[in-house]
Amino acid sequence: MTIVTVTLKSILRDRVLQGILVASMVFLAIPAVSTLSMRQVTELALTLSLSLVSFILLLLAIFLGGVSLWRDVERRYTHSVLTLPLGRGKYLLGRFAGIGLFLVGTAALLGLLTFVVVSFVSAGYRPDRPVSWLAVMAALGFDTLQCLLLVAFAVLFSSVSTSFFLPIFGTIAVYLVGGASQQAYDYVLSPAGQTLSPAVRQVAGLLYYIVPNFSAFDLKVNAIYAMPLDPGSLALTAGYGIIYTAFVLIVAVTIYSRRELG
Amino acid sequence: MKRYLFSAFCVLTVYFILLGPFTRTMEQKPYIEKLGLIPNPRLLSALFPDYQELLAASIIGKVILYYGSLAERLDQPGKVIYAADYPAMSRSIHAALRLDPYNMDGYYFGQSILAWDARQYVLATKLLEYGMQYRTWDWQLPFFAGFNYAYFLHDKEKAAEMYMRAGDLSGEPLFQKLAGRYLQEAGDTRMAIDYLGTLAKNARNPALRQTLQVRISAFEAVLAIEQARDRFMHEHGNLPANIADLVEAGYLEDTPIDPYGGEFYFDENHRVLTTSKFAFAAPRVPSDDDSSESPE
Repeated sequence: MTIVTVTLKSILRDRVLQGILVASMVFLAIPAVSTLSMRQVTELALTLSLSLVSFILLLLAIFLGGVSLWRDVERRYTHSVLTLPLGRGKYLLGRFAGIGLFLVGTAALLGLLTFVVVSFVSAGYRPDRPVSWLAVMAALGFDTLQCLLLVAFAVLFSSVSTSFFLPIFGTIAVYLVGGASQQAYDYVLSPAGQTLSPAVRQVAGLLYYIVPNFSAFDLKVNAIYAMPLDPGSLALTAGYGIIYTAFVLIVAVTIYSRRELG
Repeated sequence: MKRYLFSAFCVLTVYFILLGPFTRTMEQKPYIEKLGLIPNPRLLSALFPDYQELLAASIIGKVILYYGSLAERLDQPGKVIYAADYPAMSRSIHAALRLDPYNMDGYYFGQSILAWDARQYVLATKLLEYGMQYRTWDWQLPFFAGFNYAYFLHDKEKAAEMYMRAGDLSGEPLFQKLAGRYLQEAGDTRMAIDYLGTLAKNARNPALRQTLQVRISAFEAVLAIEQARDRFMHEHGNLPANIADLVEAGYLEDTPIDPYGGEFYFDENHRVLTTSKFAFAAPRVPSDDDSSESPE
């Protein structure tokens, strides 16, 4: 619990919250920009709002997750902490939980801003279909879950290397690969993919089951166009996200416990 | 301190000197250069997996702004001049709809501009049918497609099918009535006016609204000539030789003006046509049966 609190305080001390508030000033421009749309003003407001939230959460996940452990080592804070009666695993999980809590709080705050902006726009330009706030909340929730998984990867990379670059660029690579994995798999299964060599198809199939699949976490289209959600699919995705995050954290803890901290 | 202020002043002065030529150069750049080359939608969705809807909205927004910037002197409809690069606009719209197949702006713009100005009837209709697979609740897409089939492609059966679908989705019996009415031989001009009126409804983009209003006024002129021609036929038992006959006989007060700058005339079947073909000059009009850009 102490590490969680320290992590949250450290994030606030770094004025990350102020940075987020400055970035969220973009929300003020969304109602005006949305009126450029000819037939879907509210939908465009939702697109812009959800994309902005998604982008801010992504940056936070990559940088907070990638920098946190690295900075502790650089500042020799790790050495002091590990002299306390506290396991390395708990320290690492505490860091993850602190960042995760901050992400959830940020998502809630930005979600509130989305609600205000979209309500304002939809009052003036009635959408074809009423805004589905449930779908909007689901989109924000699953975006946050995806970012938590990215934080877990950032923590994993941090547990391997003391370098600043591996956690940051490694997490960006995971984000890109995870976003494209479903497309690549669909391509391999398509008639066009049958022209690939069997070895390539087998490797692609294997990778599909190993790398994370982020396309399931993207519910923006449901939120923007008020399309119905499939509870079964959502439950499976949530389970997938939680289990995958847990597994990555277990690997990270295992590696970090055995690592020599010079 | 004074030295810094002097340096800042010099830099700002140079900046403002450069700003004028820089802005003019940017304004003169062709559309492709302004928009940049749009990468393959598959590549875009792989690189920005969470932002497909945003990318689509951004591309369509650019096309709309570009189109709006072409319409000059909106207060004088007859002088609205287009020099639009329709193939580039078409490519952009298709790329955007590949990224977000639910985006209504893409279909609306595609139908408003591609079908009428670029005369890509088949392509515009394919685009609408592609959209129907996704926007399964939307009556507007089958309504637009129904019009294309009836008016441009002369496929009355498909037109009726589309209007019935629009009727089912909207719950409006009007569409079923339209389906029946449009299957009749007569009424094409009235159909076009009704259709364009629906398209123009709530069109907030000034350039697009102006375009549609010009087109509606052109079709209203055609309708006036057709009604005068039919009355002439009914009362004289023969058709008028030309539009001037209708004016001389008092069926028309004046020769109707084509807002596109052309002149109305009767063809050999006594249909009312215009030398402008209901469009301002649009260079590089692509072939109608160019279906290579179908989003499917």
